[in-house]
Amino acid sequence: MEANKRSRPKLTRRNYSKIIRPIFGIMVLGYILWRLYLVLIVQQVYTAEIWVRLLISGLIIGGVYALIAIGYTLVYGILFMINFAHGEVMMIGAFAGYFLFEFTKSINVAAPGEPPLSFSDGYPLISVILAFLVGMTIAAAAGFFLEKIAYRPLRKAPRLIPLISAIGASFFLQNAAQLLFSPQVRDYTNPQAIARGSGWTIMINDARVIVTYTGALTFILSILLMIGLYVMVQKTKLGKAMRAVASDKNTAALMGIDVDVIISRTFIISGALAGAAGVMWGLHNGLVHFFVGFLPGIKAFTAAVLGGIGNIPGAMLGGMFLGLIESLGPTALGISYQLKDVIAFVIMIVILIFRPSGILGEVLSEEKV
Amino acid sequence: MKRSRILVFAIVLVMILGACAPAAETPVVEEPTGDDPSAICEADDFGCAVIAPGQTIKIGMGSPMTGGNAAFGIDAEQSGLIAVEDADDLMGFQFELIAEDDGGTPEGGAAVANKFAADPTVVGVAGHLFSGATFAALPIYEEIGIPMLSPSATNPDLTKQGSRVFNRVPFTDEAQGEAAAAFMYDVLGFRKVAFLHDGQDYGKGLAEIAAATFESLGGEVVELMGITPGEADYSPVLSTIAAQSPDALYFGGYTQEGVVLTNNMKTSGLEDVVFFGCDGTFGVDYLTRTGANGEGTYHATPRTPPETPEKDAFDAAYLTRWGQSPGELSPFTWNSYDCTTALIEQVKEVAMLGADGSLYIPRGALVDGVRGLANYVGISGTYTCAPVGDCNVEGPTFWIVEDGEFVAVN
Repeated sequence: MEANKRSRPKLTRRNYSKIIRPIFGIMVLGYILWRLYLVLIVQQVYTAEIWVRLLISGLIIGGVYALIAIGYTLVYGILFMINFAHGEVMMIGAFAGYFLFEFTKSINVAAPGEPPLSFSDGYPLISVILAFLVGMTIAAAAGFFLEKIAYRPLRKAPRLIPLISAIGASFFLQNAAQLLFSPQVRDYTNPQAIARGSGWTIMINDARVIVTYTGALTFILSILLMIGLYVMVQKTKLGKAMRAVASDKNTAALMGIDVDVIISRTFIISGALAGAAGVMWGLHNGLVHFFVGFLPGIKAFTAAVLGGIGNIPGAMLGGMFLGLIESLGPTALGISYQLKDVIAFVIMIVILIFRPSGILGEVLSEEKV
Repeated sequence: MKRSRILVFAIVLVMILGACAPAAETPVVEEPTGDDPSAICEADDFGCAVIAPGQTIKIGMGSPMTGGNAAFGIDAEQSGLIAVEDADDLMGFQFELIAEDDGGTPEGGAAVANKFAADPTVVGVAGHLFSGATFAALPIYEEIGIPMLSPSATNPDLTKQGSRVFNRVPFTDEAQGEAAAAFMYDVLGFRKVAFLHDGQDYGKGLAEIAAATFESLGGEVVELMGITPGEADYSPVLSTIAAQSPDALYFGGYTQEGVVLTNNMKTSGLEDVVFFGCDGTFGVDYLTRTGANGEGTYHATPRTPPETPEKDAFDAAYLTRWGQSPGELSPFTWNSYDCTTALIEQVKEVAMLGADGSLYIPRGALVDGVRGLANYVGISGTYTCAPVGDCNVEGPTFWIVEDGEFVAVN
């Protein structure tokens, strides 16, 4: 009897979902592959230049997502909390860049007698570098104070409490920006040399494909910043200390690492990356308002989860992946663009079914969870 | 302990009774004029709005005053304020315009409507401006009997619900969509057009009607698709449309998305395709934010008002008061003035002064009065309301952007 029972285990709730979930995943996967087959092989409406254009916009938005996602992942890796105000840090960076460009635009550098020439048009490289420096510095400061005010007092509290504090901080920063800068949508004044929409033209199938300067800048700079961050985390003393704190705070403290300082610096780094993402967003998309950080923030959080939260290369991969899915997905699957978020999230769910800890995620130890 | 509790209870009871007791007779300030309004108020379907001496008669207005479409709301408010200033007192009672921000969204519309419904001195609403907000607000006003006269809510279904309180002066989306499709097919000679909308009540209805009409005329609808409003980059959707190589891109929606679409078109393989907007994309905001990219795009507005002395007087007043030309912020400047003024006129028709010096406004009579507008001469035309609440059937004027300015083409 006993042996018989053991050989036929009951269909408990736990293993029931273990069966159902992969079936759901395979069904969705099958549907996606079928749609892909229809669009790519049967219909073949879209020619190469369309795919190249979609790829370009996907890589650009993916770069922005990746930069913000790294901020989520860094903070999660060390504090095991989701910093929901991170999108607002990006918004602050975008505003800082906006005001810097307004300022450089208002300085006239033309020699007397010549037509007026603003500083940002005359020295575009310097003004862009300045904008990134100012945007990153101010966003880094915002991240620093955010941690000091909203999270540090709650370090010892249960894990849900800092999460609520993070949501509160997010609302506070949004509303503060609305009161300070008015709710109007503002347009970035790019330097003339990198005006929005201008760029290199590539001919594919006799069709013009424009690689915008701002898009190229966004993509290249985000890759450079990610490489820089990776090198910093892997090679420098600060990076080593961050990794040590991430793996075990108490032991790290016993080894002589000042945990508070490391946490502060983590927030500064993630803030600076978000600030850079904000300035890129402004330069490329042109719109800045108090709510501008919300959507990219949520998307980047998703990207971080997708890549495996706590894992830095995972966040980069997740961001790029999400950007590409959003851009290519609706066309490749032949589904309306209104549903692009649905497509992105369904694909994310399918990935999480098969890899519950994200693409590059590690299986967390009990203590971390 | 127990005794003190009884004592407290007794004191409270006495206080409550004292509060309920009739207050000392107040002397009648004014002689009653005309009939006693209480009988009329009792017979009225919605009862009366009672404006006590010292209070103002409030006309509400719900519109987006923040965000990317704020220009519409600000324009309507500025116009309505002039209308209220132009209106004379009614038996010593002043009119007041209460413009609230509904963000143009259903949630905002319902919130503003509830606020107005809770204020007994709000007697009419010159709005709401956006169709989505209007849909949500309408049932709330229907309940309490506040007549609406919208300067710009154009979704056709608004007047198909059998509403008693809702009226509007602009042409419907049906009229605009049909006219736009005919204009694109007959006048501009387009044969392949992609139709986009923002998925909201106004834009979706408009784009669907335009697409259906365009198809029935013999044109090819290469795409009819919704986009997610509020995004900063629509190049993927535009790149996909570029594969169909349309002659024009028709967009039903508002300035915010219209601007982003127009700018993105230049980098998505649609640089030679004409952007054809609607009355939701018309306005100086569009011009400043698209710059050179906006050249050659088409937009629509209600018929431009005929040049009359009344219009000139209003234009001058608007310019001196606000430092902007009317029609610059949104195409509904004159409509907003007319709506507010028409509501005030109707209030004057039905209001009665009671024996207690308060003004009594029978809500049901006011609702019927607004619906019964006939040959009402406003600055943007002559209005007669159809039994369903459509007060204007004239089609739109189309505009092309040339050298940074709107130029009328029909």
